[in-house]
Amino acid sequence: MTPASAVRRPPLWPVDMPLEPRPGGRLWLAVAGKGGAGKSVISGTLARVLARRGHRVLAIDSDPMPGMAQSLGIPEPDTPPLLMQAAEKPETGPWRLKRGIGPVAVTRRYTTCAPDGVRLLQLGKADKDGLAPVNGSVSAFLQTVRRMHEAPSLYDWAIVGDLPAGPRQPAAGFSPYARLYVVVVEPTSQSALTGRRVARIARGPLGADVLFVASKTTGSGDRRLVERLLGERVDLDVPADPAVRQAERGLGAVIDAAPHAPVVHAVQRLADIIEARTLEAA
Amino acid sequence: MKIAVAGKGGAGKTTISGTVARALARSGRAVTALDADVNPMLGISLGLGIDGTERLAGIRQELSDGEGDAVHEHTIDGLIERFGEDAPDGVRVVVASRVDMPDHGCLCCGVSADRLLREIEGTGRTVLGDLEAGVGVLSRMEVGSLDVVLVVVNPTPKSIEVARRAAETAAAREIRVLVVANRIAGEEDLEAIEAVLGAHEVVVVPEDPVIARADAQGVAPIDLDESAPGVRAIVAIGDRLAAEAALQTA
Repeated sequence: MTPASAVRRPPLWPVDMPLEPRPGGRLWLAVAGKGGAGKSVISGTLARVLARRGHRVLAIDSDPMPGMAQSLGIPEPDTPPLLMQAAEKPETGPWRLKRGIGPVAVTRRYTTCAPDGVRLLQLGKADKDGLAPVNGSVSAFLQTVRRMHEAPSLYDWAIVGDLPAGPRQPAAGFSPYARLYVVVVEPTSQSALTGRRVARIARGPLGADVLFVASKTTGSGDRRLVERLLGERVDLDVPADPAVRQAERGLGAVIDAAPHAPVVHAVQRLADIIEARTLEAA
Repeated sequence: MKIAVAGKGGAGKTTISGTVARALARSGRAVTALDADVNPMLGISLGLGIDGTERLAGIRQELSDGEGDAVHEHTIDGLIERFGEDAPDGVRVVVASRVDMPDHGCLCCGVSADRLLREIEGTGRTVLGDLEAGVGVLSRMEVGSLDVVLVVVNPTPKSIEVARRAAETAAAREIRVLVVANRIAGEEDLEAIEAVLGAHEVVVVPEDPVIARADAQGVAPIDLDESAPGVRAIVAIGDRLAAEAALQTA
């Protein structure tokens, strides 16, 4: 057991995180919330909807568990992820991005193509040894996302991140690109408590904007319940929709399997709100 | 006896954990409930309410505050005794770490949930750890550091896939797996789960509106209606584990 005196008081924030507010007008967002709230379905469908509206879209999947690829309409890419090829391990020292590779090269060369021209960047998936077999990819991922704001040629891309459950990744600097957090909340106390915590981190140290989505709602009562549990206004409802489960069972994207499903219409409205906010910020 | 609860986010890990912990305590076990998720929710399903759950501090953050007294705690069990809180039925609840506070501490060093779970001895106590979604914590366990893992799974392809990985991860560490098929509404649901996880023992928790209502209200399902079918099924898991724990210490 380490005595408390030896536990160095950690810095308030990882030192290599860009803290300065980046200029507005960029559609760079991450979708966060509790597990099972519908993050992958919303983020994958949103990426496709934005691409169909003419945005160049980079989808970022940092969940060590499967999810986003299916919602984008492609099979889960092979492990290890493509990004592993962008990493190297020097004889001494930790894994790093290969020399000469930055966020633009990563986007161009180490992403998987999905329908509508969406590019998918993946952190890598955990297996029975956790993320250890893809340590290189994780290092390359962190270096890439933390340098994204330095790459002007990505400024006119839309970035849609799908984060794993809870506040850990935003707090640990896995999504510093996000100017906006879409916080997905089901009408349950656990989901709302998670939403509050993610929003606290996003608005506080991350200096980002927050948009709340009430997910899997079955009536206006659910939206009011979410607002009461959150203590915040909800910006949009995404209704409970059997099309989601049907698409999952058919191992396809809901936007392909049921393009007119209520959940797809809701994500189109979400895209409207996000585009309007981004324009405002610019 | 040391039990961990794993599965995909939203599968019902925390609801199962809180209710099993309460059932273990009602069966006469001394229970330590360890919330190993940096997004701690276990307090809600134990019956502490949303506000009571928000008031629980993480051990790591308490240590980072450097109040000094902790220097004298040389054991993991001492830390748990010092920083735990009492929940209904005498369950002792501790939160390993939470990241939503302004000073959440470094995420990769210090007292981690992994370490607490691995090193906790809890002499004579039954320890139940509610893990973070996915397989991260499990993959960092060693052979023999847990007695049993409850793998909570819903009848959806993503949940089944995460459960498959969790079960594989536990088996690779020679930890017994008990699959908890949660929110089961019919034969078809159970078949989908058994098709992938049938090699393990599977127990069924039926879909139950009481559990959904408890979650909406932020109360413990066992306090809302202990005779509801879903609650009864989870309590039965607790009773069974209590009997095994009693045999183990006898």
